[in-house]
Amino acid sequence: MKKKNKWVPALIGIAAIFAAWYFVCWAGIFNSYVLPSPQKVWATFLKMLKTGEVFRDIAISFGRVLRGFGIAFLLAFVIAAFRIFFPKSEPYYEYLIQFFRNVPPLSLIPLLILWCGIGETTKTVIIVLASFFPMYLSIVKGFTGCDRKLLEVARSFSYSPMRTFVRVILPSAVPDILVGMRTSLGYSWRAIIGAEMVAASTGLGHMILFAQQMSRTDKVIVGIFVIGTVGYGTDRLLGLLIRCFVGGTAQNGWN
Amino acid sequence: MAGIEIRGLTKSYKMESGTLQVLRGIELTLPEGEITVVLGKSGCGKTTLLRLVGGLEEPENGEIRFPGEQKTAFVFQEPRLMPWLNVRDNIEFGQKKNQRNREDTARIIHTVGLDGFEKSKPHQLSGGMQQRTALARALAYRPSFIMMDEPFAALDHFTRESMQQELLRVRRETDASILFVTHSIDEALTLADRIILISEGVVSAEYRLPQKQPRDILCDELIAVRRAIVSALEKPNDSTPV
Ligand SMILES: Nc1ncnc2c1ncn2[C@@H]1O[C@H](COP(=O)(O)OP(=O)(O)OP(=O)(O)O)[C@@H](O)[C@H]1O
Ligand SMILES: [Mg+2]
Repeated sequence: MKKKNKWVPALIGIAAIFAAWYFVCWAGIFNSYVLPSPQKVWATFLKMLKTGEVFRDIAISFGRVLRGFGIAFLLAFVIAAFRIFFPKSEPYYEYLIQFFRNVPPLSLIPLLILWCGIGETTKTVIIVLASFFPMYLSIVKGFTGCDRKLLEVARSFSYSPMRTFVRVILPSAVPDILVGMRTSLGYSWRAIIGAEMVAASTGLGHMILFAQQMSRTDKVIVGIFVIGTVGYGTDRLLGLLIRCFVGGTAQNGWN
Repeated sequence: MAGIEIRGLTKSYKMESGTLQVLRGIELTLPEGEITVVLGKSGCGKTTLLRLVGGLEEPENGEIRFPGEQKTAFVFQEPRLMPWLNVRDNIEFGQKKNQRNREDTARIIHTVGLDGFEKSKPHQLSGGMQQRTALARALAYRPSFIMMDEPFAALDHFTRESMQQELLRVRRETDASILFVTHSIDEALTLADRIILISEGVVSAEYRLPQKQPRDILCDELIAVRRAIVSALEKPNDSTPV
């Protein structure tokens, strides 16, 4: 019952947008080059499905996102854990991290192209840079925010630092880690499009840029829809995984 | 008798309004296998003493000498259970993997009256049940020295009585030394081999109780002890910032 109630307004909202779009095109307010009609876009989309080019671009972009996101997660996790095990080491790299956090990854593209070429490495590095920081900050927050009272319990049972990490710090940080992963995944998608618009011959970002150069606004709109849908889909997927892993505990068991 | 020796222990906390001298030279010996109960007004430093003995805080001056290796367990003033673990896993939290034993755990769960709640998470338990889980966690560790900070304060009269008897049984069977903090004079009279009063940061009085267990705390001898404790505690003894 509740689910239905949630979906109905969502569908109405989407339908309203399409209706407005349809009406604007029908009234001929804009040139069909500036704003192609929904039917035109739909036809283009079907054609692209038939030739399979969309799937190839989705798969390639998806693979890049996963690789960059995975590397960023490992890095963020390891550095955050390092900070827990060796708190004295923090000032050595914390300022560097804060500096790079404020540098937009896309501004590094010229340098990256120079250093890493226009191949996969550059794109991976851009995604890593874009998704590392939100994840790093949440993981650090999760690790350092661990309840001191619980840490004392571990200490009172003479836990080693490693055992304390695995049995107390890590489980208590899980909600923060997952929130960070979710935020970062969104950042990865945003960055991949930027990266592919600059230096790529495949992927969704490239598809959009290429369509623009070919004056195919319909294809651009298809690309936007596909990116939004795929991004939303991966986010939901991660949400689902989160629910599988931590069950109901995330909402009620943590204090 | 060998035991844990506390000599000249002091501790103060820095506060905005100055330094708060909580302990000013505690002298105390905790003989092996005895239950030492610490009584004192709220804020007199009982928890602080326990934390120092348990090594959770560094003493300012003085020392604490342990006779050889001790396996110590702590029951805190709050339950402090891991919210992501169920009752059984919380109880086994202190044990190494190879020491865990489902039957022993089940027995301990039974003795603290939590049968049927093995799979429950802490937030699904009442305050008293959480505190009993914390007690079970300490006992499951098989400690030789147990520090307990008002462990039964959240329990009703009857549950409290049965937990006290359980503690006495554990002491009989394992010969563990126990340092026990409470507000309840009745509880002190029921459990203690020796009662320590803390006031103004020092051990202000000490009472040795008869060995006999179970006790009738309404017998003449213990009523006399109670009178003495009450009059000693009534003296003004607020520790104020210096
Ligand atoms: N970490 C701390 N920082 C500053 N002051 C502290 C700290 N811990 C305890 N104190 C102070 O030390 C004094 C003794 O505290 P403690 O917790 O030992 O009292 P207590 O005897 O256990 O009281 P209660 O019976 O209410 O539990 C209190 O005045 C408290 O304000
Ligand atoms: Mg206390």
